[in-house]
Amino acid sequence: MQEVKDITIRLGAAAGDGIQSAGEILAKLLSRSGTYISTFNGNQSAIRGGHVWFHVHAGTHPVYSMGYGVDYLLPFTQLAYDEHYSLVNKGGIIIYDPSAVTARDLGADISQIKSPFLATALKYDKYPIMKNTVAVAEVAALIGLGFDVVEETITSQFAKKPEIAKKNVEAAKEGYGFGVQAGVRKALKYSDKRLPFLHANYTFSIGAVAAGCRFYAAYPMSPASPIVHWMTAHAKKLGITVFLGEDEISVINATIGAAHAGARAMCATSGGGFALMQEAVGEAAMTETPVVVVNVMRTGPSTGLPTKTSQGDLNMMLGISQDDFPRAIFAPRNAPDAYDIAVRSFDIAERYQMPVMVLLDFQIADGGYMTIDHDFEPVDINRGKLLNSDGTDKELHNGTWFRRYQLTPDNISPRPLPGTPNMMYVAKTDEHDEWGHDLSDVLAGLKESVLMREKMQEKRMKKMEQLKAEMKAPELVGQTRADLTVVSWGSSANPVREAMEVMNSSGLKINALEFSDIYPLNTQAIVPLLKSAERLMIVEANYTSQFGGLLRKEIGIDIKDALLKYNGEPIYPVEVERMVRNIMVKEVESHVH
Amino acid sequence: MAFSSFKTDVWVDWCPGCGDFGILSALQMAMAEYKKPASDYAIFSGIGCSGKIIHYVNSTGIHNLHGRSIPMAIGAKLANPRLEVIVAGGDGDMLGIGVGHFVSAGRRNVDLSVLLFDNGVYGLTKGQAAPTLPRGIKTKSLSEPNIDTNLNPIALALTAGYTFVARAYAYDIKFLKDLIVRAMKHRGSALLDILQACPTYNDINTKEFYGSRLYKLEEPDWDGVVRKPEEWNDKYSKAMQKALEWGDKIPIGLFYQNELVPSYEDRISQRLTAYAERPPALQSISTSDGTIMTDLSELLKSKRVL
Repeated sequence: MQEVKDITIRLGAAAGDGIQSAGEILAKLLSRSGTYISTFNGNQSAIRGGHVWFHVHAGTHPVYSMGYGVDYLLPFTQLAYDEHYSLVNKGGIIIYDPSAVTARDLGADISQIKSPFLATALKYDKYPIMKNTVAVAEVAALIGLGFDVVEETITSQFAKKPEIAKKNVEAAKEGYGFGVQAGVRKALKYSDKRLPFLHANYTFSIGAVAAGCRFYAAYPMSPASPIVHWMTAHAKKLGITVFLGEDEISVINATIGAAHAGARAMCATSGGGFALMQEAVGEAAMTETPVVVVNVMRTGPSTGLPTKTSQGDLNMMLGISQDDFPRAIFAPRNAPDAYDIAVRSFDIAERYQMPVMVLLDFQIADGGYMTIDHDFEPVDINRGKLLNSDGTDKELHNGTWFRRYQLTPDNISPRPLPGTPNMMYVAKTDEHDEWGHDLSDVLAGLKESVLMREKMQEKRMKKMEQLKAEMKAPELVGQTRADLTVVSWGSSANPVREAMEVMNSSGLKINALEFSDIYPLNTQAIVPLLKSAERLMIVEANYTSQFGGLLRKEIGIDIKDALLKYNGEPIYPVEVERMVRNIMVKEVESHVH
Repeated sequence: MAFSSFKTDVWVDWCPGCGDFGILSALQMAMAEYKKPASDYAIFSGIGCSGKIIHYVNSTGIHNLHGRSIPMAIGAKLANPRLEVIVAGGDGDMLGIGVGHFVSAGRRNVDLSVLLFDNGVYGLTKGQAAPTLPRGIKTKSLSEPNIDTNLNPIALALTAGYTFVARAYAYDIKFLKDLIVRAMKHRGSALLDILQACPTYNDINTKEFYGSRLYKLEEPDWDGVVRKPEEWNDKYSKAMQKALEWGDKIPIGLFYQNELVPSYEDRISQRLTAYAERPPALQSISTSDGTIMTDLSELLKSKRVL
């Protein structure tokens, strides 16, 4: 037996074979044994058939991404075998059922274990689904987990169906036996500690509700749908009104309506749905209504690859809707980050009375589980200039109307809610004066209106200056001085961090700047960080280096070395390492010549 | 409150003879008669001449994007059901660009009143054919007769599931006022199709055109109110039949009303028992010093491994 710091396990099968559940059981086994996990869901847009896979990376220290290669491969179909065998590491193991899979000659570096998953499963049930249980239990034995944790996990998985639980435990016992026979190969150091795991769609939902979100609207769209499922499941206990609109246009307008009435409100979608929402995001900015809009990115353009990952929507978020208007954009790096950013998003939306947009992506948000190793912090809520009183301050009231869009030194106006006695006002999507009245019709083009339009546009846009100062600088990970600094944003931070840890332990000097506060950039804090870097490289999941483009535009720094991945698959740490090593070799060569 | 207290000091810039004036007066009178404080009303309006009405009524107004008033009104109403929510928009706004929202609202039956300013043309953009203009009609604003068949707002609302479906005439202010009051009293989604002239662009559907054709659906000849489940089918079919009447005789009045269908708010209350007392906008989410009030321990139970 070899004790290692981390292991990777991959399961592959046809859609409908229950591979995601099997992967989740594996993740639970490892999490209940005190190890950190990170998973990826290699999903397809199919309910049955095709090919799906699930990847689990577990370690004795925090793991963020896919790890390196595959240590244990469980191919349930020939296609799964053929697609993934080349990723198996030297010393890795393929466990397969010869009734479904014909193995190739892969040489002595890879062990291939034959196990009768299907025949074993059929001994306990007339359906083949329990072959997953047999296989997962066998892997548990191979990585040195005790059977007690397997039994406990399966029993709790089927807690409501004790008969099924019993059958599964018996089948698992046999599978575990196969593993014991083969002997423990690579094992982690386990403990009694239990570490929970979640993906970013769930942690963002938890953060939102903690921050007081009580209205959630959605139209079904992968990979954002886990949010509506979570919200609906928790609606009763937490008093959340969930609205399933007829399209994304109705969804965002209902969200703005709820926010306007005084609820903390949010909606989520993916890129295509967000494209439909654009006009209304401008409306939220114009009416100065606080909303939080989440875009869980998938590969585009158009319908694209609905179950594959991407960071290709940043340019859309930066450029949406007509003319200039204030907005904040965040991109949580992973599940723990998403909680904190959800909480901040609602405060910023309400304090600045503007739309806040959040970019998650398939990789971290749908089946991309990650260990949460700290408790979620209770938060303080700041609702900004929300008025609860029915004061009729002469400054703010002309006897009929409330001065909703009052020009103030900080450019943020007091906001009463509809229904507050004597505090009526008009909220306008047209350009308006301080009382919310039209500048667009009979007053349009008159001197006074032209001047007021300038003032109103300046009022809205200047909110960005103040916001800029409170946007966070990227997190500097690793040593302060390094030969190469890798810039990433959102989920691309995860493979970079993993690769950096490996490379630094092999003697390279690499550090990373991980951005999650995307726009407006706090240039004052960022410029020194980027300018003091020895050399820069950027990693992101899109074709044109969209975040690199933003840095170039806002800061004037052009990062030429870019790892850009746009094929829908996650960025692997090994890809980051390869690029870094190439750059470093060239760097050395340029000094030699 | 008196009728006059619902007026504002904002200059009304509609064309002389526009049906919107009648609708404005009837709405102000209805609000006064309904006796809610002005601040309890929230009027959502779309883009077009009709959208300007929020400036002329002393209550909270939200002037929306084109076609999107209904979903925004739904969001506001669900967040704070104590608001008396009114949607005002033209047939272009609600049956053209916003028709998906108009239809979908019927499935939900949120308690709101939709006032459809129905003049058959896009007035503010100089008189293009709007969804209620019949095919083959050539108004003075069109260079060719209308190529599209018209939508029937009454039949569409019945099909969509509106539980209060009525038609009024902008120049019969008292009759219109009475129907607006009934629409507001109605628990569920109410459609009030308001026929009006556009004196600038529609020279076909004029006051003269309607004057000779309109007749009122009134008891004892007509009663569209469903009071018992067994009346449902019969009254719905009759209303649909009546909805198809258009020509020499055009009916106005209450075609159909059915309060046996639960409102969306009732449906939410079945799921969330505290909804009526603590809807989203009226929940306390933090103490006065900003401390969070959501019980995080509940949230943490959703962590997958615990």
